[in-house]
Amino acid sequence: MDKDTLMDMIKDYRVAIYLILLIVSIIVIFPHPGPSGLDTNLQFGLDLDGGSWIQLEFQSAIVTFKSDMTLDKFIPELKTKLDAEVSLVDENTLEIRKNISEEDLRLVFTELQTELVSYNPGVTKTTADDVKRILESKINSLGTRDAKVYVITALNGISRYVRIEMAGVSMGEAQEIVGKQGKFEIRIHTTANETEHVLFGDSIQSVANPSQTPPNSNNWGVSFVTTPNAAEDLRQAAIKVGATRTPEGHNLDMILDGKVVYSAPLSPDLAAELQSKATSNLLASTGAGEGGREQAKLLEIHLRNGALPVGVTIAGSGSVSPELGGQFKFWSVLAGVFALFAVAISVYVRYREPGIVFPMVLINGSEIIILLAVTTFFMQLDLATIAGLIAVLGTGIDQLVIITDEILHEGKVPSPNLYLKRLKRALGIIVASAGTVLIAMLPLAVMDLSTLRGFAIITMLGVLVGVLVTRPAYGRIIMSILSK
Amino acid sequence: MKFSIAVSVICAFSIVRSSWLDSEIEWFNEYLALTLLSMNFFTYDISSFSPMKLCIIPLVILVLSLASVGMMWMQTGLPISPGIEFQGGISVTLVTDETPDEITAYFSGYPLISVNEGINNGKYLKFGPMDDAATTAFVKLVEGKYSGAKIDQIGSSFGATLQEQATIALIISFIGMSIVVFAVFRTFVPSAAVVISAFADMVMSAAAMNLLGIQLSLGTTAALLMLIGYSVDSDILLTSRVLKRKGKFDEKIQGAFKTGIIMTSTTFGAILAMWIISAIGGIMIIWEIASVLLIGLLFDVMNTWLTNAGIIKWYMTEGKGRLLSGQRGA
Repeated sequence: MDKDTLMDMIKDYRVAIYLILLIVSIIVIFPHPGPSGLDTNLQFGLDLDGGSWIQLEFQSAIVTFKSDMTLDKFIPELKTKLDAEVSLVDENTLEIRKNISEEDLRLVFTELQTELVSYNPGVTKTTADDVKRILESKINSLGTRDAKVYVITALNGISRYVRIEMAGVSMGEAQEIVGKQGKFEIRIHTTANETEHVLFGDSIQSVANPSQTPPNSNNWGVSFVTTPNAAEDLRQAAIKVGATRTPEGHNLDMILDGKVVYSAPLSPDLAAELQSKATSNLLASTGAGEGGREQAKLLEIHLRNGALPVGVTIAGSGSVSPELGGQFKFWSVLAGVFALFAVAISVYVRYREPGIVFPMVLINGSEIIILLAVTTFFMQLDLATIAGLIAVLGTGIDQLVIITDEILHEGKVPSPNLYLKRLKRALGIIVASAGTVLIAMLPLAVMDLSTLRGFAIITMLGVLVGVLVTRPAYGRIIMSILSK
Repeated sequence: MKFSIAVSVICAFSIVRSSWLDSEIEWFNEYLALTLLSMNFFTYDISSFSPMKLCIIPLVILVLSLASVGMMWMQTGLPISPGIEFQGGISVTLVTDETPDEITAYFSGYPLISVNEGINNGKYLKFGPMDDAATTAFVKLVEGKYSGAKIDQIGSSFGATLQEQATIALIISFIGMSIVVFAVFRTFVPSAAVVISAFADMVMSAAAMNLLGIQLSLGTTAALLMLIGYSVDSDILLTSRVLKRKGKFDEKIQGAFKTGIIMTSTTFGAILAMWIISAIGGIMIIWEIASVLLIGLLFDVMNTWLTNAGIIKWYMTEGKGRLLSGQRGA
């Protein structure tokens, strides 16, 4: 091929787009020497980098109902009957925070002369986000390096699972971290720097969501209820140190794992009340505005001891050690290289023409590079994704063979006109089979079948990149080469 | 072209000999031989074969496969024996030079189901479901003795959810694929031929999985879905060539075969590389995916060039397609 045909070829928009995309991809992946040999911008999943994951399932259900009863009568009755926390999502949807089967719940609803319209295990997005926040704060407070918490939400907006991924942590450690309750304590100041124990976290019975007192005042706080015994302890302690008479200087400290997370004096009216009788309904105010609200949210987590607002069970968990992950990384790169090699041998045996085999293998390999670059933006490379990449290699070469054979029909290199007609026909076959792969993989990409999502997404992306960019470019390149 | 097939087959043979399970060898050999047989007589010519003759071998295998799949369905509620991910349980991958007996003794207090041995001293252990407390204790036991083990645990209710979703995914995929195929060809018999071949591919692969003891897992579900795409590839090629090109039927179908068989053998080569390397490296999920794809590709050769070719031959010579090609003056 001389210089002119080469220039013509590169100037063709199909080839130009492909080359630009390939170069951009290499820049995005950015291979450079680093501490561990060759570093890249690729993000590896747990099974290649080592670490653990735990998937928790919420013990809760979202139900819709039809009732003749008024809501303020129905909900309290349901609460007592179920002995569970029940909250209203909208006028006919409830979140029931208890592990109860649809059949059992239907019985209870029938007793209350209410129709159970739909039942879905899970929690609302809001509750799920609370859980995520609590888990994140808990894991971070324990100094775990690299933890990610994902809420898994179905298409109907109901979240059933939350998944925690921790890099570089063994499964035993991970279970301990997630299962661990913080140690929460309230102490009262006796003199300037001395404090005395008042109560532990286990005497806090319930904690409300952050609220404004008085309503709409933009003054935020968290109210909580203690056991009667703890309420009496608090009263005794306050009287003993003189906090009921002079609240100032006798702050109450809330301590989580040895760290003071909140400190404030008794309010004048609480001080006066404690002088005469014990109270178990307390409110910790955190101040006005957005700052107050944020603080109240944090305080709520602390008051809950890191406990979640809804019960969970372990749905699944897994771990890979960093050594094994490193080994997997090595072998999967090798698998990819060998796959490409196998492709090269097979097409060489068929065509025996380096002018065809080289572009084919190069295009096939560069599809992988482009896909790797795409993954850096929004997904992690894990074993399933790598299997997907190799599968893409397989379908990719299939379609390059279709193009080649279609164009070389009857062994002659066609005139440009006929060539374009044939390329179009080849692309027709390719688009049809690409369509089937896209459709076949779509359910996996939309549903959340754990690791398979990556596999499906990479396969679909591979098909799209192939059909839109690399295969048309290949058609153009092969023409220039053959018409020399 | 023949050479490349031979290479693949020789590779497959030699690999199978050192494979994970001894019982697999027999079956694998047998059906490889069968596929080879069908490919060889096909390479020569199909003009002397009536559509019925072409379809009879796949039909018999399909019926046998349906029986196998149906039996498994009655036993387990699924067409393929479900693995840990769908039933709940724990799998452990570890590297140790202990014998399976020693491992069995060490885990005597836990519901050990099986110990498989891989290359390089790799061991793959399967356990039945345990409750949260037992799981925690179990993990400590494993991590205490075998550092660097890979542990995967799925609770039985999560497993049931995954199973349900996987079934839905397979059904939707298949229906979606059928719709695309019918939309592309817009004639009933050729479209149905493609869909039937894809269906036969999946059923036969499922039956082969049951015979070889490959269980349904997340990986093999993905592989089955991928097969839908792969198997339709060569069918679409065949059908497009026959319907949309001018020329004699036998010549068109031979041309299509030449392209199609190189497509399949190239893909086979790529997946075979993945299969060998993942077996050596002990990467179970990739090995499972590759195993199912290899099986499926072999059946695809048969179903495309016997089943689909048979139906389309009937359509072009005796069915409505005869008219069609007559009008085009072929």
